[in-house]
Order: sequence, then C-alpha cells, then structure tokens
Amino acid sequence: MADIDDGPSTSVSEPLDLVRLCLDEVVFVKLRGDRELKGRLHAYDSHCNMVLGDVEETIYITEEDEEEQEITRTVKKQSEMLFVRGDSVVLISPQAPS
Amino acid sequence: MSFFGFDTSLPRDRGHQTKAPGFGAVPDAFAGLSSRRTVDDDDDDAIDFEDTYDGLGDRLDETDDAFNDDTFGSEPASQQNVGKDFDFAGQTSKIANTLQEEHMLFQARQPPPRMEPARQAARPARTGYENYAKTDYIPQLEASANIWGIQPKHHIQPQQTQQSQQIQHQPHQRQESQGTSATPARKMMSLEEVEAMMRAQSKKPGPPAQAPQPAQAPPVPPHPQHQMPPQQHVHYPSQQGPPTGPPQILQRPQQQTAPRSSPASRPQGHAELPGHAVQPPSIPQHPTILQRQRPAPSEPVAQTQRHPPAQAAGQRPPSQPRQILQNPNRLSGQGQPISQAAQRQAEYQRALPVGPGHNRGPSLQGPVVTHPEQLLNLTEEERAAFLIEDAKRAKRNHKIHMLSKDNGLMTPQDKNFITRIQLQQLMAATGGLEEHGPEAALAEDFYYQVYTQIRGAPRQTPHQPTSQFAQTYIFQTGGRYGVGGRKHQRGGDNHMQRMEQQVQRAVEAAKAKPKGKQLVIEGSLGKISFSNAKTPKPLLNIKRPESTDGFHATARRPSRVHLHDSSVFDRKGTLRNIERVYSTLMLMEDHERLMPPPLHADSDPATIQRHLEWQTKIQGLHEQLWQDLKIMEPINPNSLTPHPFIAMLSHPKGKKAIPRIFRQIDEQQRITILTMIVVHLDALSVVAHAVPTPDEPNLSRATREEVELFSHAVMPPLFAHISESPLNIVIGLLGLILDRTNLQVVARSKIGMSLLTMLISRAELLKQSTPEINIVDWEQWTQLYNRLFDSVEPVLPFVFPGSVNDGDDVYVWQFLAAMGVGASPEQQQRLVLGVKDRVMETVAVSKALPAEIASVRLGHVNLFMRAIGLDVELLG
Repeated sequence: MADIDDGPSTSVSEPLDLVRLCLDEVVFVKLRGDRELKGRLHAYDSHCNMVLGDVEETIYITEEDEEEQEITRTVKKQSEMLFVRGDSVVLISPQAPS
Repeated sequence: MSFFGFDTSLPRDRGHQTKAPGFGAVPDAFAGLSSRRTVDDDDDDAIDFEDTYDGLGDRLDETDDAFNDDTFGSEPASQQNVGKDFDFAGQTSKIANTLQEEHMLFQARQPPPRMEPARQAARPARTGYENYAKTDYIPQLEASANIWGIQPKHHIQPQQTQQSQQIQHQPHQRQESQGTSATPARKMMSLEEVEAMMRAQSKKPGPPAQAPQPAQAPPVPPHPQHQMPPQQHVHYPSQQGPPTGPPQILQRPQQQTAPRSSPASRPQGHAELPGHAVQPPSIPQHPTILQRQRPAPSEPVAQTQRHPPAQAAGQRPPSQPRQILQNPNRLSGQGQPISQAAQRQAEYQRALPVGPGHNRGPSLQGPVVTHPEQLLNLTEEERAAFLIEDAKRAKRNHKIHMLSKDNGLMTPQDKNFITRIQLQQLMAATGGLEEHGPEAALAEDFYYQVYTQIRGAPRQTPHQPTSQFAQTYIFQTGGRYGVGGRKHQRGGDNHMQRMEQQVQRAVEAAKAKPKGKQLVIEGSLGKISFSNAKTPKPLLNIKRPESTDGFHATARRPSRVHLHDSSVFDRKGTLRNIERVYSTLMLMEDHERLMPPPLHADSDPATIQRHLEWQTKIQGLHEQLWQDLKIMEPINPNSLTPHPFIAMLSHPKGKKAIPRIFRQIDEQQRITILTMIVVHLDALSVVAHAVPTPDEPNLSRATREEVELFSHAVMPPLFAHISESPLNIVIGLLGLILDRTNLQVVARSKIGMSLLTMLISRAELLKQSTPEINIVDWEQWTQLYNRLFDSVEPVLPFVFPGSVNDGDDVYVWQFLAAMGVGASPEQQQRLVLGVKDRVMETVAVSKALPAEIASVRLGHVNLFMRAIGLDVELLG
C-alpha cells in the first residue's frame, strides 16, 4: 500500500500518472494485432501491464471474399478479468461513462 | 662622357677633395689648417694652440656638472662595484645545459640529409629492421659457421675473388660506418660514375666492374680477408672481423651477396662453373641458401646492390620477407625436390650467360633440380608438378609480399613511443589535469606540444628550462637524425618503466577525478558541472512541485473549470482529487502500522518521543486528508457543476473511499460529511440519475451498479453514524433535506429513500427509547415529519421502482414502514391509500410465484402493513 511517496503526489510528473487517474475507471485500450479492449482498469505498472475487469475485447479481422473485396469482421469476447501484457499496448484512453 | 650625366672623372683625376670627405669619413679638423698654411707660408714650422684648437671646449655647458656625482657615484671604481654586464663566460656557463639542448634542437630541426648522406649518415642508427628493407635479405637462420671452427673460405678464381672482395668488404665497411657514423671518404657519385658502373655491370660484372667500384661503394680499403687463400670457400659469417658484434654482421653479408650468386652460397668447388652449376644436393651447412631471384631482366641494374640511391629508389618497396622461403624446415616440408630457385637461376643465367655466380646450389638433400638440364631430364609428370608447385609458391610469395608491404615501417621504439602517446591520452581522458601542471597541457594536444618543443619557437630566455617532456623527446626523437649513439644507451626496459609510470599516473588521475564535479568560473552566475560515468549529468530535471503549491494549483482547478465549463477538465480534476485522497489514505494507513508500542506510565522518554512524533505525523496527514476531501469548499447552490466532494462520490472509487475515510476522521468531521451528502442528496449521481423516468422505467445496468455500490460502500458508515446521532442532528439533517433538496427526486431514488428511512427510523427509535427527551425537539420533529409526509404523499404511487414483477422494492416498504410507525392514524390512512394499488398487485403476483419467493414478497409488504397495525393476511 505504501507505494506512493510522501505528499500529495497526484500532480502529473510522468505519463503514467495520467493512467493512474483512470484506475477503477473504464478505459479503452488499443492493442497490437487489431484488438481493442474496453474494461475497468484495476491495476497497471510501468510496463503498461494491466489488469482489466469486465472486459469486452474486440478483434478486427480482415478477410477477402470471392471478388477479392476486403471485408472487415469483428469478433467480440467478454472476459471477467484480463491480464494485458504491456508490450502489446498501443494506447490507453479514458472512456467517459456513457 | 657619362650616360647618366654623372661626372665620370675618377677621383684620382680630380684630385683629392679635402673639403668633401667620403661617406663615413670624419671631418678633417686639420683641413682648414693645411689650406691656411698654403696662404701664409712664412710661419710654416710653428703650429700653436690657437691654430689647432677648434673651440669645442668653450661650447661645453658646465652648469650642471654639480650633479655628476649623483649620476655616476662619488667613489672611485672598485672590484666590487664594477658591474658584471660583460661577464659573458660566466653567463654562458650558467646556461651550458640549455646550450646543449639547443644543440640537439638544432640538429633535430635540420632536415635529414637527402643525397649521399642519406646512404649512411642519415640512416637511423639502427632500427632493427634495416635488413628487411633490402630486397634480398636473407635472415641468418643457421648458426655461424665459425662457431664450429670452420675457417673462412675464399674463392679460387681471381675473378670471383674480385667480386667477393667487393662483396665482402661491403659489410665490414658498413659496419664501420655505422659504428663511427662518420667516414671521411663518403662522397656522392656523379652521374657519369653511375652510368659507367651500370654499363660495366650490364656488360660483364667481372673485373671491368672494378672501375666504378670505388665510386659505387664507399671506399673499399684493402681488406685483409681479401688476401685469404683462394681455394678456401667464402663462408660469409666467418669473414667478419672479430671486433664487430656478430648478430648484425651475420646478416649484412647475406644481404649483400644474395642477389648475385654469393660465394657464400656456392657449394665448395663448384662455384667456378658458371654455366653448368649442378650442385651437389648434400650441403648440410647451407640450408637457407635457396634464394628466389628477382625478375631476371632488370636484375643487372637493380642488383647494383651496393648502390644506395638505386636501392633506395627502386628496391625498397619490395621488401619481401624471405624467411619463409628460406626456412629450411618449411622447404623440406614441401616435399618438393625441385627447387624453384634453381629454375629461376637457370633463366637468369640464360639471360646473363657470363654472370659469374648465378649458380647457387640449393641446400636440400635428395634429388633437387638446380638446373635446366635436370629439369629436362625429368619426366613429364614431375615437370608438371614442379611447375604447379612453382606457381603456387609464386602466388603465395606475392600474397605475403602484399601483406607485408608495410612491415618494418615502425621500429619497436616507434611502437613504444606510440604506446606512450596513447597512455598520455588515456590519462588526459580520465582527467586529473590540474594536478599535473605542464603535463596537462601536454595531454591536451600532444602533437602540437611535441612540435613546438622540438621544432617550434625558441625559448624566451635561456634560463627557462625546457620541460621535462621536451628534454625527454629531444634526446629521443631528435636523436634519430642527429645523435645516433645516444638512444642506444637507454635500455629497452626504460620504455617499460616509463609506461608503468604512466599507467600509474593514469590510475591516480582517475582516482583523483571525482573530486571536482563542478567548475565555478569567477564572475559567472552559475556552475558548470561535469558528468562522468559515475555521476552522469541529468539532462532533464523535473521537479515535483512543493506539496502546498501543487495542492493549491489543483485546488483552484474546479473554479477554473467553472469558467471553461468543461466537463472533461472537471472529470479529470475530480479524478485527481480522488487519487490524492487515496494517496493520503494509504499514507495514513501505512502510518498506523508504524505506531510505536503503547505508552505506559513508566515508558522511557524515547518511546514517548516516538509517540509524539507519530502523533504529529498522523495529525498532519489527517489535516491533509481533510483538505484533500474538499469537503470545506464553499457550497455554491447555483453552480452548474457539483461540489467537488459530491463529484468524487460519482466515481466508484470515490464511493469506495468513504468507509476508509470514516475510519480516519473524527466525529465532527463525520457529521460534516454526512451533512454534505444530505445537503446534496438530490445532486448525488446515484440519486439524480437513479430516478426512473416514464421513458426508462428500468435503470441502466451501470446506474444500478452505482447505486448498489453506493448503498454498500457509503450508506453503512452514514447509517452507523446516524444510528448513534442524537435527535437534534436527525432533525437538522431532515430539515436540510426538506429545505435544500428536491424531495420528489430524493423520494423516488433508492438512496434518497434509504436515507430518509434511516433518519425517520432513528427518530422513531429515539422517541420510543427515550420518551423523556426534550419536548421542543419533539415538536420540531413532528413538524418536520408532517412536512415530509406532505411532500412524499403525492409521489407515493411512483416511489416503487419498475413493475410489480421486480422484487427489488424492499427499501420502499421499509420506508413506508418507518413512515407508518411515526404517522398519525390519519396519515396512516393516507399512506395506505397511496400504496394500496401496489400492495394489492404484489399480493396478487405473489400468489402466482413459488411459495418461497411469494413469502419473501409478502414479507416485504408486511413490513409496512405491520407498521400500521395491519397484515397481508387480512387482505387475502
């Protein structure tokens, strides 16, 4: 619990401090490999490893049909809890509750 | 007649003009006298003073003679007071060392002699690589023959002897010249001499070549060895005079004799057969003789080996390392009996049939082809193999030649010198310049320093000593051109010593380096800090703002947000506030764990001190938390944005923080928080957004979760606090709800209704448990209750969430029960009327439901029914 150094350290001094504001909030995470996640941020670390809860994962799959037309198809998955390895994270965006 | 119009008459023609003396001549004081004499002849033998006195003495100004003593001193000159201004010898002796250095410098600055002296005098005294520069140098790989007591041998034929004499003298003479480095007879060859020599060489290198010989070679003094018995074979190692050092001598003759069939390489008794030199293959003493000839056609000229200019110009680059070829082991390892050198030799002899000694024998044992005849006698296969082998070897030799082109450019001393330079630079790189003074400047720009010291400007005064460095290198580098002998007086270990010293200094400098991390230049405003590997200079310096500054900065943010009316900033600010609260909370909780052991009456002062410190710290954190909560921010009823504290409660983590906050704050602060929540009850997201609308009878899942979370996280602490509150506080809170909030909204939300239920039930409990309570309070409470009842009654049909089928309406029944307990009979009737429909529907629905669920539903209804003295059973 004592992972915060003294004083009100919430002033932004590094980019991850902004991620900290999103703790326990719903965030939108874009991943490599045409994947997106939307879920509640439970934890993160300096590598952008994250634990997300109530995650909806969206995978974009591009296929070619007979006329060689590209068709993008999405696959959605629901996960109660997800560990995201940081090296695949492209962006983290706070998702205002809709 | 004068071309320029001058008077061309000579002075003697004009006669002496006494009045116009020549330039520089002193005016003749007696000129007038003599001329006067010609005027009056009567007084010709008496010259009196008046005639000769020019009157200059009268013109002297003697007025200031009184000060003469001041100027020159009054005492007579003595030994002591005579100045030493002209003591040249004494001054010179003082700077004798300087003079010597200057002498060195002068020699160093002289460009090395180019033409004839380049041959010997300009040669670096001895680099150890000289031999490799010679094209035909054969390193001595065998033991000197005279070790074994073999007598030096000479040629039989005079012609050969002639040649060999010349050859043999060369090394010796050279040896001498190296030793003394000053042979008086050294002279440059004239062009005619060179040409004559060349011609003689190409024609016949026999006795005719004798003519240019004195010229091409340094004068050959009659050498005693020349007179050696002719039948003796020349064995070059042994021909050296005893006084000279063996190792160098051994190599010299080889180098000289190699290109032309050296007598040394000639096997005994066969040397005199130029055209037909079939060598007996078994000559064990000469394994290294096998010598590759240079391309034949150019040989005659090129091989004027003792001709230094030619050698320097044409022969130097192809300094092939011959060792490999000459290595007997290697050669025998080839397993190839046919000597390629022999073949070359054969070619060469064909080109130069008269050449006296091109028939050196290979020193291999076994069948060795040393001559074309032999080659012809071989079978086809053997010849093919021989040729292939030859080609291979030529190829390899070429490769070696290419690789070793620059061999020997640097002497070992040069390499040591470079190593020391590098060490100097290493020391410079590791710093510590201040400590070493002049050495620092040296390390900064080494080459320039060397240049200026050796070639550069003269020193300002003779007394200024050259630096230790300069002295070192004057006698080192300068000596290369000038003084040859000096360098050799220094042992090889000297370099090692100096290198060790430098390494030591480098290590010391590296140790001393971290002392000075900063440089403050006088008059400058700042410091210049150095960076090194240990303490790199930070390029980015992000300062965390002071705690108070940062706090104020963000504390003001909400008001700024008002101006911008940007919900994004508001949201971010709220999130930041929450994080700050959490940070403080975590600190406080962490600090709790660090609480020192409890105090006793006999606790020692240290423990008491620690307690005090702990208390101080927790007090500070406590205040910090209270500030972080923003609970004391002024309430602005007209604001579009909610109060910061209320905004925090709209986030899940804000709600979750409340129980933890309540643990840390005192009673008064809890009341404050409760009051704040109550005042903003209808502004709470869980209240304002949780009111079902006709369009949306069912709340969204997110909202339901929010409400659920709020009722689990925030309500229990509030409820716990209310359940212990006295009546006046309950009255105050209810009054605030009635006065400040939209009761329609509050009553229709679960949270609002729960809070109302809490307050009413607490008041009812107080009324029942402590009837003796203040009458005034009760009257006030009754008033408030009536107001509440009046406000709630119109919305009673709408307070139930969803449809009858939804079971989540227990809180409404609880509220109704609480209301019903304190209600008057008339109010109870109004209550029943208000919710009658819902009661009947629920009873009807429960009949269709399974027994367990039905009993639960009916039980909820009964909460209310029993409160007003009824029962669902009665309805059935």
